[in-house]
Amino acid sequence: MKVDIKMTRAPLSSRGVSVADGRCGALVEFAGVVRKEEGERIIEGLDYEAYEPMARLEMGKILQSLAGEFPCASVEVQHRVGLVPAGEASVIVRVESKHRAEAFGLLAAFMDRLKADVPIWKSVP
Amino acid sequence: MDSVMRVLFFAHLKEITGTHSADISTEGVAASSLWSLLIERWPALLAHREGTRLACNGIYAEADAIFGNNDEVALIPPVSGG
Repeated sequence: MKVDIKMTRAPLSSRGVSVADGRCGALVEFAGVVRKEEGERIIEGLDYEAYEPMARLEMGKILQSLAGEFPCASVEVQHRVGLVPAGEASVIVRVESKHRAEAFGLLAAFMDRLKADVPIWKSVP
Repeated sequence: MDSVMRVLFFAHLKEITGTHSADISTEGVAASSLWSLLIERWPALLAHREGTRLACNGIYAEADAIFGNNDEVALIPPVSGG
């Protein structure tokens, strides 16, 4: 499984719906977006801090550990750091696979593990 | 120059210690001894010990890990990415 992980301070963008690998019939892309409400408060955005070298390593390890159960062709993860305004994406995960089931499965499992184990923290600035 | 262990603090632990990193000169220490050293210097860390994991050189440390000079040790409070 091809894995590409990026962490950036720049706004994230989707690459559209063309697949790189012609054997793939499924492309699933998830964007996690900053909500304008934090509990009862209206917020302008969230500040994301990361221990970047470890975050990259940990995301790579998680994806490799899921590859057996969910055999996908490729996964691209973009995670933003720094201030992310409400309404913009803090994370985009794009999965290409032969069929949709493994792409949905990998994406859901990866997001759960990301939120549990990857050293990234958000706070209200 | 003596080699040292570098300890990294993130999120609210950075606010508590007032720094992102601290250099500590010590022989190999287990997690419990390392915590004692850190809490002695920053007593407010005690309240955050439970729930904070230790990582050594970018990898979550096992319970019986020994941390030594030249290691980069990170205190990882509960994460909230995504």
